[in-house]
Amino acid sequence: MSVKSKIFAAMKQIAEEQKVTLPPLEDDLPLNETGFDSLAFAILVARLEDELGVDPFTVAEDAAFPSTLGEFVRAYENVPA
Amino acid sequence: MRNVLITGGSRGIGLAIARRLAASGDYNAVAVARRESGELAAAIREAKQRLHFRACDLAVTEATSLFARSVRDEFGPIYGLVNNAGIGTDGLLATMHNSEIETLIRLNVLSPIILTKYVARQMMADGAGRIVNISSIVASTGYNGLSVYAASKAAMVGFTRSLAREVGRVGITVNAVAPGFVDTELTKSLDEKDRRRIVGRSALRHLPGVDDVASVVEFLLGEGGRNITGTVVTVDAGSTA
Ligand SMILES: NC(=O)c1ccc[n+]([C@@H]2O[C@H](COP(=O)([O-])OP(=O)(O)OC[C@H]3O[C@@H](n4cnc5c(N)ncnc54)[C@H](OP(=O)(O)O)[C@@H]3O)[C@@H](O)[C@H]2O)c1
Repeated sequence: MSVKSKIFAAMKQIAEEQKVTLPPLEDDLPLNETGFDSLAFAILVARLEDELGVDPFTVAEDAAFPSTLGEFVRAYENVPA
Repeated sequence: MRNVLITGGSRGIGLAIARRLAASGDYNAVAVARRESGELAAAIREAKQRLHFRACDLAVTEATSLFARSVRDEFGPIYGLVNNAGIGTDGLLATMHNSEIETLIRLNVLSPIILTKYVARQMMADGAGRIVNISSIVASTGYNGLSVYAASKAAMVGFTRSLAREVGRVGITVNAVAPGFVDTELTKSLDEKDRRRIVGRSALRHLPGVDDVASVVEFLLGEGGRNITGTVVTVDAGSTA
């Protein structure tokens, strides 16, 4: 499974648990329109760290969080191993 | 077996907590400190695989994320975190060295917050967990010569209440325990006169012991603690009554 599909699978799982309806997952979807609140994102980042072994937002120099789904996925794709 | 991480588990209150949890049969206790004390080594030999030591200098917060992950990789999901490691440097604020102030705030405030960040996110991924922060009655009363220490312990109370709100929805409880004066390394600088004065002011006319604190932590981690979150439990033999 690609990183992207792993991220989408994790998002769908959390959406089900937290009872939120996800819009179609597209690259330019703003993260604040996913229906996820900050807690849901925290759970997502934690699960992805478990699954992929990385947390790009801890590794990053600056504290900025991406604003679209595409940027979020790229943060995981581009993380230095 | 539920894994519980106890920081400062090599002596004093932390060792009593680690020992008690290991003996209960319900937990696998992992005591964290810079060095393994003789007392902890002896407890580990008695505890039949239920008590472990992992070295970590928690003041080095750059290493905390890796440490949290290594504990999980080795033992599996962490169910409980007891933030107990702390130092009790006393001194008048006016003459305390800035480096002493920074060291104290770092270990007593920054270290537990950062460790909790990494452990709580594992708990979030798992959907359950218990966090207990060791504060002190000094967080809400006053004691001459402990202003910086008191600030660090009050910080833990504020941290506890808001974090409880933040992670409640994913099934994690967060509480603080506020011990009164307990005889340990940390309090050895107190002289006999002060000690007698504290005993004399307590409702029960004695001091609580390390095991009194440990039993409250065990309660909060157990079944009885499932609907307790965002609160402070005082264990002081009535010093502040
Ligand atoms: N004793 C009291 O009267 C009292 C009252 C209220 C609250 N408390 C609180 O209870 C907690 C425990 O106190 P205590 O009296 O049991 O103290 P203690 O006997 O001095 O034990 C402190 C523990 O913290 C560990 N520690 C210190 N610096 C560390 C570091 N940089 N990294 C990792 N571990 C470190 C020590 O191990 P190493 O030195 O080997 O690292 C030791 O295991 C503290 O948070 C304290 O504020 C104590």
